[in-house]
Amino acid sequence: MVLLPQALVDGIMLGATYIIIAIAFSMVYGVMHVIDFAVGEWIMLGSFTGFYLTLWIKIDPLYLLPLVFIIFSTLGYFLQPVVQRVLSGHRGNPLLMALVFTFGLSMMIRGLAQTIFGFYSHSIPSYFSTRSFFIKEGSFFITISAVRLTGLIYAVVITGALNYLLKFTDFGLGVRALAMNKDAAALMGVNNRSTNKFLFGIYTGISAMTGVLIGTILSISANMGGDYTIFAFFVVVLAGMGYLAGVPAAAFVLGLIQSMFLVYLDPGFTLVAVFGLLYLILVISPTGLFRKGWG
Amino acid sequence: MAEPILSVQKVSKHFGGLTALNDVSFEMKAGEILGLIGPNGAGKTTLFNVISGYYAPSVGRVFFKGRNITGAPPYALAGRGIGRTFQVVKPFAGLTVLENIVIASFLRHPRRAHAEAQAWKVLEFTGLADRAHVPAASLTLAGRKRLEISKAMALEPTFLLLDEVVAGLNPTEADRTIELIRNVRDQGITILIVEHIMRVIMGISDRLVVLDFGMKIAEGTPAEVAANPQVIKAYLGEEHV
Amino acid sequence: MLIPLTKDRRLLVFLGIFLAVLLLPFVVHDAFFIRLFTEAAMWIGLSLAFDVLAGYTGYLNFGHSAFFGIGAYTTGLLMMKSNWPFYLALPVSALTATLAALIIGFPTLRLRGAYFSIATWALARAILQGIMMIPYAGGNEGIQLKAYLNPLFFFYVMSGLVGVTFFVLWFLLERAPFGLKLKAIREDQESAKALGLNPTKLKMQAFIMSAIPTALIGGIFAYWVTFIDPASTVGDLISDQALVMVVFGGMGTLIGPVIGAIIIFAFKTLFWAYLSAYEVLYLIILGAVIAISVVFLPDGVLGAAFRKGTGRHAKGSIHVTTPSPEKEA
Repeated sequence: MVLLPQALVDGIMLGATYIIIAIAFSMVYGVMHVIDFAVGEWIMLGSFTGFYLTLWIKIDPLYLLPLVFIIFSTLGYFLQPVVQRVLSGHRGNPLLMALVFTFGLSMMIRGLAQTIFGFYSHSIPSYFSTRSFFIKEGSFFITISAVRLTGLIYAVVITGALNYLLKFTDFGLGVRALAMNKDAAALMGVNNRSTNKFLFGIYTGISAMTGVLIGTILSISANMGGDYTIFAFFVVVLAGMGYLAGVPAAAFVLGLIQSMFLVYLDPGFTLVAVFGLLYLILVISPTGLFRKGWG
Repeated sequence: MAEPILSVQKVSKHFGGLTALNDVSFEMKAGEILGLIGPNGAGKTTLFNVISGYYAPSVGRVFFKGRNITGAPPYALAGRGIGRTFQVVKPFAGLTVLENIVIASFLRHPRRAHAEAQAWKVLEFTGLADRAHVPAASLTLAGRKRLEISKAMALEPTFLLLDEVVAGLNPTEADRTIELIRNVRDQGITILIVEHIMRVIMGISDRLVVLDFGMKIAEGTPAEVAANPQVIKAYLGEEHV
Repeated sequence: MLIPLTKDRRLLVFLGIFLAVLLLPFVVHDAFFIRLFTEAAMWIGLSLAFDVLAGYTGYLNFGHSAFFGIGAYTTGLLMMKSNWPFYLALPVSALTATLAALIIGFPTLRLRGAYFSIATWALARAILQGIMMIPYAGGNEGIQLKAYLNPLFFFYVMSGLVGVTFFVLWFLLERAPFGLKLKAIREDQESAKALGLNPTKLKMQAFIMSAIPTALIGGIFAYWVTFIDPASTVGDLISDQALVMVVFGGMGTLIGPVIGAIIIFAFKTLFWAYLSAYEVLYLIILGAVIAISVVFLPDGVLGAAFRKGTGRHAKGSIHVTTPSPEKEA
């Protein structure tokens, strides 16, 4: 019982990082109707990039976040047309084929990562990971590590930035229009192709950035992608595909589940629980907890 | 007076806060052509979906040949003799025209050879025999609409729901389709037809039912309906073709 | 497509090939090659089973390995813990697979294609983790069966099963109405309903048809390699490779998956023979093959060779891709 507040706090902060991944992922789905199976791999690539950059340039990884964003958003920007081609070309079921394509992509990336980075786990060292805050309330004692707090702040900042982007810029208007009605938006002059490219770039950039953060809070390995893909799916499905407003709640649920398992149960069970829950949700309510997603 | 083949009784359909159909009732005699008209959004396709089993009504019941079919799924109704076309034509794109129809023929002819034979008969009836082995997706719009009707006919229905089978066709194609519809009726099949093109639906229907905002506002012969002030008001501003 | 005469001729060709395969051990005596062909047969069978659901019905079961594992563990546990003979234990695998298909399929087949794939993928991983935690099933270490070293026996059992599977599926999917009905569901489920087809029933039938051969192959695999553990049976590699083989070969044709299986398996064997030092490369290449096949070979190798031009449709074609807010009935 003493551990409960700590578990809760940890869970919330973990959840915060998941929000970002899920929002970006959900945005891409909403506009391009693509479920990117490789989302976890972007996170993994970002985390390793952060790891090696810190090693070479000797700058704290948290200051490197913008650089990682730039690298991966550019990558995503130029990769997007390939994905687009899959979507428009296939005769049978473009959405499913896009899923298969990104699935193949994720295999490739994972294989590449194993080749280049080996099988070891690492942790990205950061000045912030050595610092913590302590809160003492009566008999409850909570440690808040600086990195996790940074994660929370990061989540708030990025969410705010995305919100601003979507609601107050022309680009964002175009994105929302495309999400609602592709053809009408195109007729009104929204450049579908370039908007998709930028959007995908933002998504890969954000995912990679979040990978760096995860690397400072938790650990990284070449195989970690699969787990984070599951986490992204979980959050987005629970929130409702394409329903961005449901993401924060769903992300916190995941964060809480994880930290509860870490504290009270065998962490190995976490994945069974998450997989099992994901399956159950898809079966009971594919449109999400709030029933507002696309089923 | 013979028992009506179709009886729609006080059917309403709500989608959350939106009422698509509001207390709609009407009957159809066997062998007649009933036209369903109304401004856009009046609920015509919703009504079709209720009758053909895609939606269950929120309130009310539907009887077909004296049996309650409310809430029965579409595939059960196909067996009972109800066929329909879709407003947005949906052929099985990856298959040939013949294969599209054979699939429908399986309902009455479980054996492949018989199904194929019957499919060929339908192709001749609807005039698509020359394009039997062509991929369905490469048909023109007129061909696709014709394929829609062919698939429904292959079910050997006694009742046919036609949803905008003439819209989008040029005058020549439209006339050929009208003739096809007449041929279908001559086979003894009862038809409920939705169409926006006034000259078509006025010309082909024995009677009309008019919907507006989900409610039935008029029913009668084309002449009666055309003179009905409520109908004129509902269509105010719309051009008559 | 609907020309019976050509099909009958093709069937004779298939029968001829099958007979030739069965006569193989009279020509090739090396046990190594016998084992090789046994494994090739295994992958052909897995790909065929995968294609029933993938190519004909349009549902990609990313958790396909779950059935393989269920079959392997059913036969393995019955033989090892309860001392059942092989020929009695194997059919039980078919039963458990059918049961599993019913339980798994009933809720998931209602979902749309992409969601189904994610759901089955997640479920397979959950089963994998789950098996690792059951002591009765040997947990992480797996179970060891009594060895029966007779390569010829397994060659004939595997080839026989796969051959029978092929002919049964060929009949059901290419000759009987069932195949066309599945394709109708694949192309447009809502439209198919209006033609008297019950999508749920048909999808479930296809699912079971996909599960049974896979489980039986898994059962034979268990007895053949005498040692099974979660990773080798329920792990990703089974599903992934079946996926590659079918997508690369050509979905929805039965012949495509056979060709895809043979080519990919040949590649895999050569790779492990000469490049095993670079084992991580294998994953990269598999992924690349999937990605490239999706982009450049939408109908697979078979489609590229035989059907130039009928694959692509004009823009503005019928298939509606906008997600609809309603769940399928």
